[in-house]
Amino acid sequence: MKKKRFLVLILVAGLTIALTISSAIAEEFNVFGRPLLLFGYATQEFSYGFKDKYDTESNLNSALMNLFVEGDYKITDTLKFYGSSMLTVDWIYQLKHNDNSWNDKLFAKSKDELNVDDKYWQLLKEARITWTPSDFLFRVGKQIVSWGELLGFRIMDQINPLDQRRGFLDVEFETTIIPIWLIRADYYPRLNLSWLQDLGLEFVYNPNADFIPNQDLKLGNAEGGIWAPNVPIPGAHLATAISNIDTPKKWREGNEFGFRAKANMLGAMATLNFFYGRDNSPVTVPVPPFISPLPPDILASDGALLLHPFQAGKYPLLKFVGLTFAKEIIPLRASFLGDVAPTVYLEALYAFDSTFTFTNPITTLGRFDQSDDFRSGIEVTWKVKITPLNARTYFAFTGEFFYRRIMDYPSFEEIAGLKQNNYQTFLSVNTQYFHGKLTPSFTWIHDINSNSNYFIPKLVYDYDYHWHFTLGAQLFKGAKEGEGLQLFDNKNQIFFKVAYKWG
Amino acid sequence: MKQVKIFSICFLFLSLVLGVMVPALRAAEEVKITAQEWEKNKRLMDDPRPVLTTTLAYKKVLPPDLYAKLTYDVEEMKKLWAEVVGFSAPNEVGKIAPEIKPGTYSYKDKEKYPGLKELMIPMHYEFFKAGGPPLAGSYAEIKVVRTRQYYFALPIAKATKEGIGRVQLDDNGIIKEETWVGGLPFPRPEGKFKANQVIYNWIKTPLPWESMYATSVNKGFTRTLRVDQEMVANIMQIILKGRVHMEPYGWFDERAKTNGEYLQMNFFYNAPRDMYGNVIGMTSYLDPDKYDQMMLYINALRRVRLLSATDIQDAIGGADYAYVDNNGLGQKLSTTIFPYKNEIIAEREYLVPFSTWDGSEYMNEKGEIYNLEWERRPMYVVKMTQLDKNFVYSYRIVYIDKETGLLTHVENYDQKGRLYRSTVGQRPFIPEFGKFGFGCGLARDHLDLHTSWTNGYAVPAPWLTRANVSLRGLVVKGK
Repeated sequence: MKKKRFLVLILVAGLTIALTISSAIAEEFNVFGRPLLLFGYATQEFSYGFKDKYDTESNLNSALMNLFVEGDYKITDTLKFYGSSMLTVDWIYQLKHNDNSWNDKLFAKSKDELNVDDKYWQLLKEARITWTPSDFLFRVGKQIVSWGELLGFRIMDQINPLDQRRGFLDVEFETTIIPIWLIRADYYPRLNLSWLQDLGLEFVYNPNADFIPNQDLKLGNAEGGIWAPNVPIPGAHLATAISNIDTPKKWREGNEFGFRAKANMLGAMATLNFFYGRDNSPVTVPVPPFISPLPPDILASDGALLLHPFQAGKYPLLKFVGLTFAKEIIPLRASFLGDVAPTVYLEALYAFDSTFTFTNPITTLGRFDQSDDFRSGIEVTWKVKITPLNARTYFAFTGEFFYRRIMDYPSFEEIAGLKQNNYQTFLSVNTQYFHGKLTPSFTWIHDINSNSNYFIPKLVYDYDYHWHFTLGAQLFKGAKEGEGLQLFDNKNQIFFKVAYKWG
Repeated sequence: MKQVKIFSICFLFLSLVLGVMVPALRAAEEVKITAQEWEKNKRLMDDPRPVLTTTLAYKKVLPPDLYAKLTYDVEEMKKLWAEVVGFSAPNEVGKIAPEIKPGTYSYKDKEKYPGLKELMIPMHYEFFKAGGPPLAGSYAEIKVVRTRQYYFALPIAKATKEGIGRVQLDDNGIIKEETWVGGLPFPRPEGKFKANQVIYNWIKTPLPWESMYATSVNKGFTRTLRVDQEMVANIMQIILKGRVHMEPYGWFDERAKTNGEYLQMNFFYNAPRDMYGNVIGMTSYLDPDKYDQMMLYINALRRVRLLSATDIQDAIGGADYAYVDNNGLGQKLSTTIFPYKNEIIAEREYLVPFSTWDGSEYMNEKGEIYNLEWERRPMYVVKMTQLDKNFVYSYRIVYIDKETGLLTHVENYDQKGRLYRSTVGQRPFIPEFGKFGFGCGLARDHLDLHTSWTNGYAVPAPWLTRANVSLRGLVVKGK
C-alpha cells in the first residue's frame, strides 16, 4: 500500500516538474472568459551535518524537495479565488534506506512523519475566495491571517500555526505558516481626517472546521528525525513522547475570534488587536509512568537507554490584547550613512490567564496553572551605505529585541524553557552585489537567558527570474547544557538549495 | 451545537450582506487593460503591431461616453497651445543639419550624413549602431519624420493660460504651491530660475491621466543580453491636486487639500513569481521638505508593512533605476532633501525619438529598437548639480521638450563623475485627446552593464477612488 502511495507521489512530482519547465504554464489561462494565473516553484535542498552524534549524522542529513503551485482566478473585478498546493518530500529516507548508521539511530522510523507531507492540509495550502465590494473585503476559506510587525520574532502573529518539524530555518519561508479555515471581514471606512489617512477594521473568525496546531519539533529520533533536540539525560537519550493531547472538537470547540483596527496616521502605522482562541502549541504534564523505556528499542545505538516521556496535555485558551506601531524616524537620517532613516517597529501583547505547566524541580511532577503573560518586541531596520564594502548597494540591517514576562511566575516551581523574564535578540544584515544577483546575508539569534546562539550565514545567487541557488549554514552554540539553543549544538550543518520558479 | 449555530448565523449574515451589495458591484464599470490583455495585443519583444491605431485604439477600448468626454477639437487645441507656449515646434526647428530630411537612415549612413552627429543627443548617436552586447537599446535604423506640433487637451491648455503670471517660485526657486492651480506651471520659462521652471513643467505634467490604470511589462538584459528579469506590473494612480481634465476638478478631496497630498498610487506585481502579490502603496506630498509615504503589502508575509520613505537611492530589485529615477526624474525640487543647483546648458533642437503615435515600436532579440518616430524637437538641456556629496548622483543631465515640458532623456553621473544610469522615455501621442499615453522606456546601468526595457498601456480610470489606492487597495491587490 505504501509502495503504491509512493509511486503516486513520484508520478505527481514528475508531472509537476514537467509542467514547471513548460513555458506555456507561465501564460495566463482563459477560463470562462476570465483570467487564471498560475505560478509555482520547485526546490531541491541538501543539508550536510558536521557531527556524528546520536542525534545527528556527519554526512547528508536531508534532501528536501518542494513542489509548489498557486493559482489566482478572477471571477469578476471584485471576486477572486486563490489556491495553492504543495508537495514536500524528504528524499533522505530513500537515499539512506540501507544506511546502517541512519537506521541504527532510528532516524528511519521518522519516515512516516517526515518523508512525505501527505495530509490534505499539507498538500492543500490555501483555498480561499475573496470578495471586495466597495469599502469591504470578505475572505472565506483556508487562508493565512498575519498580524504583527516584527520579521524575526512572532509575537502578535498567533492565528495561524507554524510548521517547524524540520528546523527553524524556513524550508520556504512562505510555507512554514500553515493556512487554516477562517472567515475574515474587513471594513475600510472613508475618512476625511487630516491626521488619520486610513482606518481598517478586521474581524477574523475560526469555526474550527479542522483543528490544525503548530507542528513543533518532535522528541526522539524515531519521530523528530534529524531535528530531534538532544535533551541531556545521564546515560540515556530522550525518545519519542507517548502523549495524550486533548484537541478541541471540530466546530463545537476551539472557535476563535480576532479583531484588529489598523490605522495609517501621522506618518505611522498602528494597530490594536484582540484575540480569543486557543494556543497553537499544547501544554503537557507528565503522567505515570512518567518516563520509561519501551520495547522494542530499549537501547540506542551508542548503548544509552532510550527513555520515553509519558504526558497528557491540552491546547489552552489564549486571550490577549495587543498593539503594534511602526514609524520611520526621519530626523535620524545621516548623510554619511547614506541618508536613509531607521524605521522602528513595536509590538506588545498582554495575554490573560495563560496556562503553563508548573514543574516541581525536586519531584519533576507537573501541574497546570495560570498566569498572565506579557510579550513585547522592538525592531529597527536601517539601510546603511558602507562604500568600502559595497560601492553600489546599501547594507540592510534588521535588529530585534524580544522580551517576555510571566507575570505570576511560581516562587518554587518552574516553567520548562521559561524564566520569569525572558530575553532574546535577533540581528540580520544583507546586501547585494553584481546588480542584485548575489545576496550575502548573516543572521544571528541570541537567547540571553541561556546564553545560546544560532547563526545563519547565507549566499543567494539569482541567475535569473527562474533559477536561484542558495548556499548557507546553520550553526548553533550554547553555553548551558540542555538550555535554549544548546539543545541543537549537534545540528550544525551546511545546506545547498536550487530553486526553479515560474510565472 | 451552540457554536454551529453561531457559525451558521455569521455565514448567513455574510451572505445577506454580499447579496445586498451585488447590484452595486455590477454597476461599477472598471475599464482597464490588464497586463495579460496588453501582452496579448503587444508582446514586449519582436512585435511591430501598431496597437494604438488598431486593437487597442482608445476609441475601441473606452466606453463611448468617456471617449467623447476626453476628446476635443484638434485645431482648437493646436491653436490655443501655440498661443500658450508662444510658438509651434515645426517653426522652431530645421536650423541644425538641415540636410537631414524625413526618411529612413541606417547606422551605416553615419559617415554619409555627418550632420546626424550634431543633430542627435550624443548618447543616441553612440547607440545609433547595430545591436549587440553589452547594452541593449541600439538603433540600427531610424525613421525620421517631419516635426509635428504637440499640444495638450483644452482644459489643460486653459489652466496653463490662466496660470501665466500667477504661478511663482520663491526666493530659492521652489514653487509656491498656492499659486499653482493646474496645467503646466511655466509654459514660457524665463528669469533667474528658468531651469527650475523647466523642471517644474515636467514635474507637474499630468501623465497620462489624472486618474489612471496602467499596465507595464519589463525585461532585464545582462551584459551578454541574456534576459535575467521579467516583470509584469499594474498601476493605479490618482493625481490629487491640479485636476483640470478629469473629475473631480481641482483637489481630489478635502483630505488631499488638508494634508497637501499630490499623488497616491498602488503598484502591484503580477510577475515574476516572487513578486506576484506584492503591492507598493505610495503617497506623495506637495511640501518640498516632506518625503513620500511608502507602504508595502508583502506577499510572503500576507502583511502590510511601513517602508522607509528615505530609502530612495538603492536600486529597485536588481533593476536599472532607483526610486529617485521614477518616471525619469522621481524627485521634487527642495532646499532640504537632496537640493540641486539647476542650470540650462543648452537650448536647441535635437533629433529624438519623441513620440510614436501608433505604438508600433519594438525591440528585437539583438537589442535593437525599431519603428520609433524620430523628429526634430526644440529642447532644453538642464544640468542638475547635486549639492549633497553623499547622494547617489553628482549631477544629472536632463533633456526636456520645450513645447510640452516632457522629459525624454536623462543621464545620471555618480560621485566620481562616471555615467552611472540613463533613461530614455517615449510616449505615444493621442491627437484627439491632446494627451500622451504610457509608452516605452529604456533604462541602462552603464557601470554594471545592464539594461531594462519596458512598454505599457494606460487608460483613464474615472472609477478609481481612494479605496483603490489606500490601505484597503494594498490588501485587496495583495496575495
